[in-house]
Amino acid sequence: MRKGKNSMAGIVVPLLSIVLALLIGAIIMVCLGANPATAMKNLAIGAFGSKPNIGTTLTKATPLIFTSLCACFAYKCGVFNLGGEGQFIMGSIAAIYVTLVTGITGVPAMLLALAAGAAAGGIWGFLPGILKITRGQNEMITSIMFNYIATLLMGVVYTNWLRDGSVPQTQAVPKESQIPRVITGMRFTWGFVIAVVLGLILYYFLFRTSGGFKLRAVGINATAARFNGFPVRRLMLFSFIVSGAIAGLGGSAELLGTQFRLINGFASGYGFDGVAMALIGQLNPIATIFVALFFAALRAGATTMQAATGVPTSVSDIIQALVIVFTVAGMALTKLPEFTAFLQNRSHKNGKEVRD
Amino acid sequence: MNFVTNLLLATVRMAIPILFIAIGEMYSERAGMVNIGLEGLAAIGSLVGFLMCFITGSTWLGIFCGALVGIAVNMIYAFATINLCANHTVYGMAINIFAPALASFIYRVYFGKGSDLSQITLMKGLGIPGLKNIPLVGELLFNQTPMVYLAFLLVIFTAVFFRRTRSGLNYRAVGENPKAAATLGINVIGVKYLSCVICGALAGIGGAYLTTCYSNTYTEGNIAGRGFIALAAVIFGRWSAGGILLACLFFGFCDALQIRLQVAGLGIPYQFFQMIPFAATILALTLIGGRKLGPKAAGKPYRKEER
Repeated sequence: MRKGKNSMAGIVVPLLSIVLALLIGAIIMVCLGANPATAMKNLAIGAFGSKPNIGTTLTKATPLIFTSLCACFAYKCGVFNLGGEGQFIMGSIAAIYVTLVTGITGVPAMLLALAAGAAAGGIWGFLPGILKITRGQNEMITSIMFNYIATLLMGVVYTNWLRDGSVPQTQAVPKESQIPRVITGMRFTWGFVIAVVLGLILYYFLFRTSGGFKLRAVGINATAARFNGFPVRRLMLFSFIVSGAIAGLGGSAELLGTQFRLINGFASGYGFDGVAMALIGQLNPIATIFVALFFAALRAGATTMQAATGVPTSVSDIIQALVIVFTVAGMALTKLPEFTAFLQNRSHKNGKEVRD
Repeated sequence: MNFVTNLLLATVRMAIPILFIAIGEMYSERAGMVNIGLEGLAAIGSLVGFLMCFITGSTWLGIFCGALVGIAVNMIYAFATINLCANHTVYGMAINIFAPALASFIYRVYFGKGSDLSQITLMKGLGIPGLKNIPLVGELLFNQTPMVYLAFLLVIFTAVFFRRTRSGLNYRAVGENPKAAATLGINVIGVKYLSCVICGALAGIGGAYLTTCYSNTYTEGNIAGRGFIALAAVIFGRWSAGGILLACLFFGFCDALQIRLQVAGLGIPYQFFQMIPFAATILALTLIGGRKLGPKAAGKPYRKEER
């Protein structure tokens, strides 16, 4: 009964937050002198209006699903991995080295690059993880510091080590090593499919296996988990590594499927966006995928909206940011004793009226 | 001026924004409010400070409005965490996502798409007569912008407030044991809100410093992790004003050093030098380890009704 109510709040609150955020977005559009109805219509057309547009939305969703699953998995175990962006970038650096430097070509290069990306991301997740469990360091700060280091390292790669002539960017991944598209005429690749399948696997692992149960137990109450004999530290480190590997896999998939080369701004903001989406999705991998799709739709649609109505694309960033601000506050509100008491009173009253 | 003087001068200048933000966080954590939204607060403070200065030409007004907007945004955090008992870390992250988005939105709406880099005149230095002529020390401490003096005064005030005054002790009690503090008649909720006002203002000022006293333009991402480094500075400085000052000078030194090394070149890709402050933060935290020295009730929700 109680559980049912909680999971209902977990759906209602994010949906309400989205509605509220869109409403405020509409008010901003009015203030900018645009017709919000036209703007929203164009936003929707840009995101879902045609086959290529849907393809773009799915393409934009792919890296977001990976980084949000990365955040989701770590938080389920109670470790606040904010390093998704760095782990994502390390994955893409590993992938570019495999495809451009090793001399391996074609599909084997692609598969190896994906594996190397996951490994590199895992290592980048291992670092803040091991610092947390051995030195008791605040994993939020260290994982963010590792983000900056990864971004700068990527800078070295595209401005120096693998620079493509005079332009500060790497060469593109050769055509035969790129991840193929699923449907011709739509941009999205098998990377999207991998992301969704990964989400389903993570859901199964977290909620249907004993390993996932132990992991969640640590996230809910580490002390209680320790008294139950669960290896808390090892589980935390494990979740950090897996979480990093998820982001790293995403980084290599993004490089091999969408962007093909490292360049300034690659992956910028994906890490924190992943955190936001995981929180809006209530740390449920499947819900998180839908949130990522929504965010991607906002982004894909924003360009069309700007072209048609002149409303800047950054309005969609504001809407996304408001969704997270409202969702987190709303979820906290539903957990307040006063609020639950209020709900119970109301349902009691309703019950009485029916009986009368 | 030689290399060392330059380096030390830059150290002070680079330490100031982190110092403002870190002292703000110290006020916050001393009242039990762990605010990791500093990066976002500084970002919006930086933008608004720049914008006000651009419009009015007054750097002081820029700093002031940076503080105001920092407070305003931090009130969202305060309401969600104090009244709704939202998780501090999670809500701090929400602020870190929301505030920079707001900042870049305002910037794009105001300056349009294709505008050139708009610039402002930086705050002028104000040498203190007499004292500024002392060799090295005078140059370092008494020939800076007024913001530098303000920052140092803030450190002294904060140290005295928390160590020597009754209200400072009361304030600390809120972070250590809010229920005990409440039984002593301390207005716990009031102190928590006050801490968020101070933290928001100082983080906003730290951000505004970057655009009005350091670089004369606004660029997205100009905070560059200083909000998080400030968090580390609070831990590294063991929640005391003096310690935080030293920690910030250390981080300022790393920043200053990396700029000098970049200029020197040495045939190494410049990004490796840029990594120094971030690597130093990790290293500093590793060295002090995980001893929990902070306020005991930091990050915990406070509910009046629960006894």
